[in-house]
Amino acid sequence: MTEDIDYEIDPENLPDRVARDKPLGAPSVVVDDLHITYRVFGARRGGTTKQRSSLWDKMVSLGRPDTGPITEVPAVRGVSFVAHHGESIGILGTNGSGKSTLLRAVAGLLPPSSGRVFTSAEPELLGVNAAMLPRLTGERNIMIGGLALGLGTKEVKENIPGVAEFAELGDFLYLPMSSYSSGMASRLRFAISTIRTPEILMIDEALATGDASFRKKSTKRIEEIRAQAGTVFFVSHSLASVRAMCTRALWIDKGVLIADGDVDEVADLYHAYVEGRTDASSGAKLK
Amino acid sequence: MADQKAEVPLAPRLTSAESEALSARAGLNEMGVRPPLGRYIKQVWQRRSFIWNLSASRAYSRNQGSYLGQAWAILRPVLDAAVYVIIFGFLFHSSAPGIDNRAAFITIGTFTYTLFQTSVMSGLNSVPSNLQLIRSHKFPRAVVPLATVMTETVLFAPILLAMMVVVLVTGVLPGMGAVVPTWSWLLLPFAAALLAVFSAGVAMFFARLGARAPDIANAMPFILTLGRYASGAMFLISAMVPDGLWLKPILLHQPVAIYLELFRAAFGNEPLIPMTPGLWLEAAAWAVGVFAIGFLYFWRAEETYGRD
Repeated sequence: MTEDIDYEIDPENLPDRVARDKPLGAPSVVVDDLHITYRVFGARRGGTTKQRSSLWDKMVSLGRPDTGPITEVPAVRGVSFVAHHGESIGILGTNGSGKSTLLRAVAGLLPPSSGRVFTSAEPELLGVNAAMLPRLTGERNIMIGGLALGLGTKEVKENIPGVAEFAELGDFLYLPMSSYSSGMASRLRFAISTIRTPEILMIDEALATGDASFRKKSTKRIEEIRAQAGTVFFVSHSLASVRAMCTRALWIDKGVLIADGDVDEVADLYHAYVEGRTDASSGAKLK
Repeated sequence: MADQKAEVPLAPRLTSAESEALSARAGLNEMGVRPPLGRYIKQVWQRRSFIWNLSASRAYSRNQGSYLGQAWAILRPVLDAAVYVIIFGFLFHSSAPGIDNRAAFITIGTFTYTLFQTSVMSGLNSVPSNLQLIRSHKFPRAVVPLATVMTETVLFAPILLAMMVVVLVTGVLPGMGAVVPTWSWLLLPFAAALLAVFSAGVAMFFARLGARAPDIANAMPFILTLGRYASGAMFLISAMVPDGLWLKPILLHQPVAIYLELFRAAFGNEPLIPMTPGLWLEAAAWAVGVFAIGFLYFWRAEETYGRD
């Protein structure tokens, strides 16, 4: 069952497995037949793209037969699920399978091309490339991040010392973000996103750059959020972390929901699939 | 489910109607849809300190990375005005008949147009250049173009002071009428505020277009140059455009021309351009009307910003 060795995390640093006998609360997220299609400018018009050859297209891409003006990439294709309060859901899938897109759509940052998403509160998305203004100091970024979350000026000011301490920035708080290491930046992002305990927290690979001590700290914080009847979505390529932190798992492949159920069952299936796969060229399927 | 090892576990899938009913029962709100206008305006108003902080930070980091730093904010329009003063003030004598101080006339025109130009240009780019912010936080998107116009307005304060100094200096140039400061100069910040509100409306309009079609950024400098001439930044429209032309009333009463006239009237050094209550009313009406239209137009596409 647990023979998959995870080189990303030392086994002793894995959090204790979460309690999974808690009764589920009311629904917090309902996703109904969600489709997301990206528009990509000037993409290659190869065998993968939708062939369009109207006169207008030919004029627009004059002289560059291998580029089309716009390519449509369906990243999520008809995903439906219901999440509940107190549930911690891992999202599994190979690179480019549409995991991040799905989270961004649930967070309301990407409008669905079709289908609908319902949530009980504004979800807080914690991603690897969350907004940071690199030329500004960490302090200023906390201010702007907090205000973007909808907090008042006074509230954010009161929280700056706490956030800086949690992110272990020290004097770097007063230096521009461009001077930060990737670990420091990701710690700051995590600290800002959790200023206010969100009802729905989505973590998209955001903890991968932290060191062991910060990982422990952030895991504790996530557990706190879940304990307060929140819902946590967790995207990670570390199967061991997903098994430890989640109660349920969704497996998405090429934008389609393959499996949805107990974390161990889904993780086993996914593990078998990944091990058996020799060709790594998956990615979203293009129309 | 657990005993069927070979089967892929899949939670029961609801139909659309069932999903909707379940969401309604649990009191869930739909994501990724445009909020109604009333709530949207309230949300934007609640984020006013966000707008202010974002614009102040941007203003601060704008001119970092050059030796003269913030001084460029002032030097740029001064050099701009100098070019037009040399050409239209000294080489073409007939560009503004009846005007005593052509250099001051042109300086006020080009400096004032700067606020409009930079506001529209940065408003156009506001959504693409804040994509990271838009993609990681959920907030009313109108914050983004409003903050960029706020940045330009904040940076206009020192430019306005520089404009007063340059106008005073033009008074001693050969062949130009003397300039004496009057109380009406105190009205200049109010004129700038009206122009900023108007520019914010135009900026929000173009912000939506720029978010959808980045190509417009390439065409915009030409449109803005055309606007500079069509507003009479360096010549007197009433004298230079022939009387019979149907375009003339439009050129005289189009909003940017009105704002340039308002600034010139507030400087009060040309008897030909008097300050009247009607001028202020016209300027205020354009500001409120265009802001409302721009805001509505931007809001209508609220849910699409941030999508690739």
